[in-house]
Amino acid sequence: MAADYVSPFDERVRAAEPLAPRPASVAGSRVVLLDIRKNRGAEFLDRVETLLTAAGAATTRVTKEIFSKPAALSLIDEIASGGGLVVEALAD
Amino acid sequence: MALRADGTGGRGGSPAPELSVHGTGLAPVTIAGLTAGGCALLVFVSEHCPTSALALRRLGPLCQAWARAGLTAVAIFEDPLDLAIRTARRLGWTGQVAAQEAPYPASRDYGLATVPTAVLVGRDGVVAGTVSGWDRRALAALLRAAGEGLGADLAAPPEAEPLTKPGCSSKAAIDPELAAAMSASEGADELEEMFERGWTDGLPVVPPTMERVEAMLGGWDGDESLGLVPPAMGEATLARVAACAVLAGCRPDYFPVVAAAARAVLDPAFNLHGQAVTTQPAGQLVVVNGPVREAIGLNSGMGALGPGFRANLTIGRALRLLVCLTGGAMPGAMDRSTLGHMGKLSFCVAEDEEGSPWEPLHTERGFAAGQSVVTVIGSDAPLSISDHRSRTPEDLAYILAWAAASAWSTNWWPLAEPSVYVICPEHAQMFRDAGWTKQRLRQFMFEAVRRPARLLRRGETTPVVHMAGPDALIPKWASADAIVLLVAGGEAGRYSAVLGPCTGMGSQIVSREVESRGR
Repeated sequence: MAADYVSPFDERVRAAEPLAPRPASVAGSRVVLLDIRKNRGAEFLDRVETLLTAAGAATTRVTKEIFSKPAALSLIDEIASGGGLVVEALAD
Repeated sequence: MALRADGTGGRGGSPAPELSVHGTGLAPVTIAGLTAGGCALLVFVSEHCPTSALALRRLGPLCQAWARAGLTAVAIFEDPLDLAIRTARRLGWTGQVAAQEAPYPASRDYGLATVPTAVLVGRDGVVAGTVSGWDRRALAALLRAAGEGLGADLAAPPEAEPLTKPGCSSKAAIDPELAAAMSASEGADELEEMFERGWTDGLPVVPPTMERVEAMLGGWDGDESLGLVPPAMGEATLARVAACAVLAGCRPDYFPVVAAAARAVLDPAFNLHGQAVTTQPAGQLVVVNGPVREAIGLNSGMGALGPGFRANLTIGRALRLLVCLTGGAMPGAMDRSTLGHMGKLSFCVAEDEEGSPWEPLHTERGFAAGQSVVTVIGSDAPLSISDHRSRTPEDLAYILAWAAASAWSTNWWPLAEPSVYVICPEHAQMFRDAGWTKQRLRQFMFEAVRRPARLLRRGETTPVVHMAGPDALIPKWASADAIVLLVAGGEAGRYSAVLGPCTGMGSQIVSREVESRGR
């Protein structure tokens, strides 16, 4: 029966990406803080940055062009090269 | 006469047993009724049997001519009546349809071992001959015999291969439990199956069979990709877009409009990604301009934003199904819209260019008047604006403009994204009579809706309001260009509408020409 229909779905199976290993500690790590420009996201990241710094991590702040669009590939590259860890302030 | 009596218990010459079947009308199906005009051909069939399908295809087109000559043909299915009717229609059977369910009493009474079996019953109610399986020659002889009794020349099925084909076992002749299991499977409703597959927006859909999708494509290459549909990034091949158009109920001549709308929403400038997943209501309004409106029966008149017209409803629905199914943005899944709105089922309006005092939307956007164009705009639900009392264009423009004061949110001023006004013909006439251009109306509306910042500082508001002095006048729109004007609606009635924007998305209006089939 299935062969009789044309599916509106893209049936290709997308393999789930495995989660990256979690560090035991953030001390000595570089952490990228991603602000997607949602309302008050920057305030949230300020608090997170304070806590991370106190825990011995170095931080870098990056910002998406607009919250409602996927991040530019150049920004993703910047995040990937900025350290092993990232924190995203997702929604208000 | 080379008639075979196998599979019928050798009933030739015996009175035809009364029929224990369900017909499609209120009156019971009886031998007397079927032979009242002359004689009857009972064709016992089963939906699962390919030879039955062959018999129905070959004999079906002849039934009407037979009926005029006095031979009534009835297909008696060993299936539920709804399945029997659908199958008969699909195979081109033009005679009567009847059905029997387990334990198939009619098939038992006629001693059937095989379907298809054709039984000729004479005027006297006596079985005059039977043919089991597909046997073109024997059927022609059976029809000759019937014709002799009627004094008519009855058409025989064409001499096409296969001339003979064995039948399938009658369900009356197999184990009752197995027959019941087969019936249960065959009785499954294909519309319900669409729900089970998740190929729906919540309403019944048309199953996208290969044949329907091919017809929808109309010769276009189904493998051509229009791009990836966010948020799941399913690839919008033309075949998948066509499948959505079939599901939505489109006619094939609508498909170029659906394809143009799909190309438009997939333009990154439209930011479908943001619209598809947002908690906002965010529907995708499809505006159609140009000759294609009349060619496919798009409504731009009475009820232009409402129900009643297949082209409007199914084109808008096809686009939404593409977003929901290929794009994965089903409400409650990746579509996180808090309330949504009914335009997220279907949202397609044609502009009444002929009744408009102004240039239509597509020429404003740089297309020629003779081009057919689809324009997509991220939009909230329509808010109706009643005005029956304004007697000057200034008053009417003021009323229309201030209706949008609460668009998006009461104190959210200014709006950068477009508010779409659908101006009804009677309102448009007032501007025509006064000689107002579209730009003049837009500019008047832009300048009319302003409030001091101090009155907008309650609850949610904008940085512009926060930063302005208390008496600074803040406009509702960031510019006059954020006001889109269309004309549509019934010729009587003074009800226009404003559709608020989808905001914060950086979503732009996108237009695409409707490609002709002949490319």
